Amino acid sequence: MASKKRIIKVVFLLPVIVYSIFLIFLPLLYIFTISFYKSDSYGGMIHTITFENYWELFDAVYVKIFLQSFIIAIITTIICVLIAYPFVLAVSHKKKQTQQVLMTMVMVPFLTNSLIRMYGWIVLLRKSGIINSLLTGLSIIDEPLPLMYNNLGIVIGMVYTLLPFMILPLYSSVSTIENSLLEASSDLGANKIKTFFHIILPQTFPGLFNGALMVFTPALGYFFIVDILGGGKIMILGNLIKNQFLTARNWPLGAAISVTILLIITIVILVYRKLGGKMDDLGGV
Amino acid sequence: MKKGLLFFLILFLCLGCDKEASTQKKLNVLNWSSYIPTEVIMDFEKQTGISVNYSTYSSNEELLAKISNVKKGTYDLIFPSDYMIEIMIGKNLLEKMDQSKLHNMKNLNTSYLGLKYDPQNNYSLPFIAATTLIAVNTEKIHDNITSYNDLLNPKYYNDIVLIDDQRIIIGMALLANGYDMNSTNEEELKVAKNWLLKLKPNIKAYDSDSPKNFLISKEASIAVLWNAEGALAMQENPMIKSFFPKEGIALSIDNFAIPIGAKNLDAAYSFINYILNPEVMKAIIESYPYKNVNWLTDHILDAKYLTNPASNISNQAFQSGHFVNNIGAGIKLYDKLWIEIK
Repeated sequence: MASKKRIIKVVFLLPVIVYSIFLIFLPLLYIFTISFYKSDSYGGMIHTITFENYWELFDAVYVKIFLQSFIIAIITTIICVLIAYPFVLAVSHKKKQTQQVLMTMVMVPFLTNSLIRMYGWIVLLRKSGIINSLLTGLSIIDEPLPLMYNNLGIVIGMVYTLLPFMILPLYSSVSTIENSLLEASSDLGANKIKTFFHIILPQTFPGLFNGALMVFTPALGYFFIVDILGGGKIMILGNLIKNQFLTARNWPLGAAISVTILLIITIVILVYRKLGGKMDDLGGV
Repeated sequence: MKKGLLFFLILFLCLGCDKEASTQKKLNVLNWSSYIPTEVIMDFEKQTGISVNYSTYSSNEELLAKISNVKKGTYDLIFPSDYMIEIMIGKNLLEKMDQSKLHNMKNLNTSYLGLKYDPQNNYSLPFIAATTLIAVNTEKIHDNITSYNDLLNPKYYNDIVLIDDQRIIIGMALLANGYDMNSTNEEELKVAKNWLLKLKPNIKAYDSDSPKNFLISKEASIAVLWNAEGALAMQENPMIKSFFPKEGIALSIDNFAIPIGAKNLDAAYSFINYILNPEVMKAIIESYPYKNVNWLTDHILDAKYLTNPASNISNQAFQSGHFVNNIGAGIKLYDKLWIEIK
């Protein structure tokens, strides 16, 4: 009856397989292919094989955007880690039911479109917004603080949008830590900080890495946050790619940038494996 | 659980197949977002019995990408701007229009016909014209802005909003330095770049969605924006005034055009005729106060529109304006410059 089981397995997997092939694999293949094409000035593509698009990425202009994006993404990831760890550790000590309620609350914002939530932040952060009115109203400050239309606004938006992606994998790996381990650690005289660095951190490293990856990668691309909360004054890779497709009419270059980002993320994952990380742990959300 | 999901998936697929049974006349319109009020479309459907499928785009380049990558016949009517008409004619993407079927064409102001992007109007008819302008909140800024160079004044630190459009903004920098708005000369573009870098500290934000909100909410005091946005801001706050710099403003004319292979030609013609009705055009212009190009509508528009210098752009301002041209591969220079100044 093994073959029957196999057939059932395939039938159930079919939607996922079809989905992956048509909506992930084929589009990626297309992007990969056109990244070797040449663009003509009308936005069309000349079907040749050229590495020109990749060479062009070494131009100082593009290198600057890569650096800028990485800095924003790294800062976002670090802040997310700093917020998520205490939160997750606190949650994991609560009753099972309370844990469920708190984790649901982390997910609830996802029910609203992220663009709309960004516009919500404008109401909070702008010069005449709620935060500034409150602070000036209470005479805590004289002049409104520049909370948005700058890099601060971008980081606020990124951290806010991506924090759940850090919390969820961290939570699932923290909840697998046996309580007896923590008890043993304190019995043996380790204080909280020691316990964190010697017991919790190593055990939750896969979750941390997974979360960092899920925060870092989108942070390179969320151009709408840069446009709305940053006032469109700087560009990150997401803006750059969008511009190549929509205004500069240079699809091959846009594709080459996308492939390069994929490549960088792949290298990061490979390094993680080299350091002894298991791929299975990454899927443990 | 999984079985249930599969069941629903199949159910949805079946629902999808069943829909296309009716023989009702259809029209597939692809237009700029927020350009024609929904009531106008609904009235058209009621009057003609044609059902309109309405989708939108937010830039000419997006339109070009859509039209060149979808199956022919997907769209029946599109609204490209001037330079995009030229590009689309060059790529053989537009259907020749049968002017004998466009009886309301006579309502159009002739000064917007026969322009150089389509000299015989074989492929396009003007729908609406737009210009840029400088809108200033005079409660805070008391200076007279007569030139783009006035924007460099350090007094306006972090107080200017610009539309997020590289051709318009780099074009503005070129004009400020006395060059052609469509220059692809590298030396001239370098001067433009330095000018924009000098302007940078004064820029609060780049925003194309709704730059008027910056003025209305007093987040910024100066904006370079499209005229309808300026006009709406002036309606909200009478202290906001419009200025037309001496170097000239940027012009844009959006046009009716029919993509090649369109299936519902007659429906497209009746839609164009319907929009060119003076009363219908009035309803559109009142919601989105761009520059009207329909001379019959000019007679019935109310004073609020006609007396607002930002909506009813003067002929003098229009004539000193500049069109954005197709600059071919030169766009790559602009794109790089844009990254450098951001």
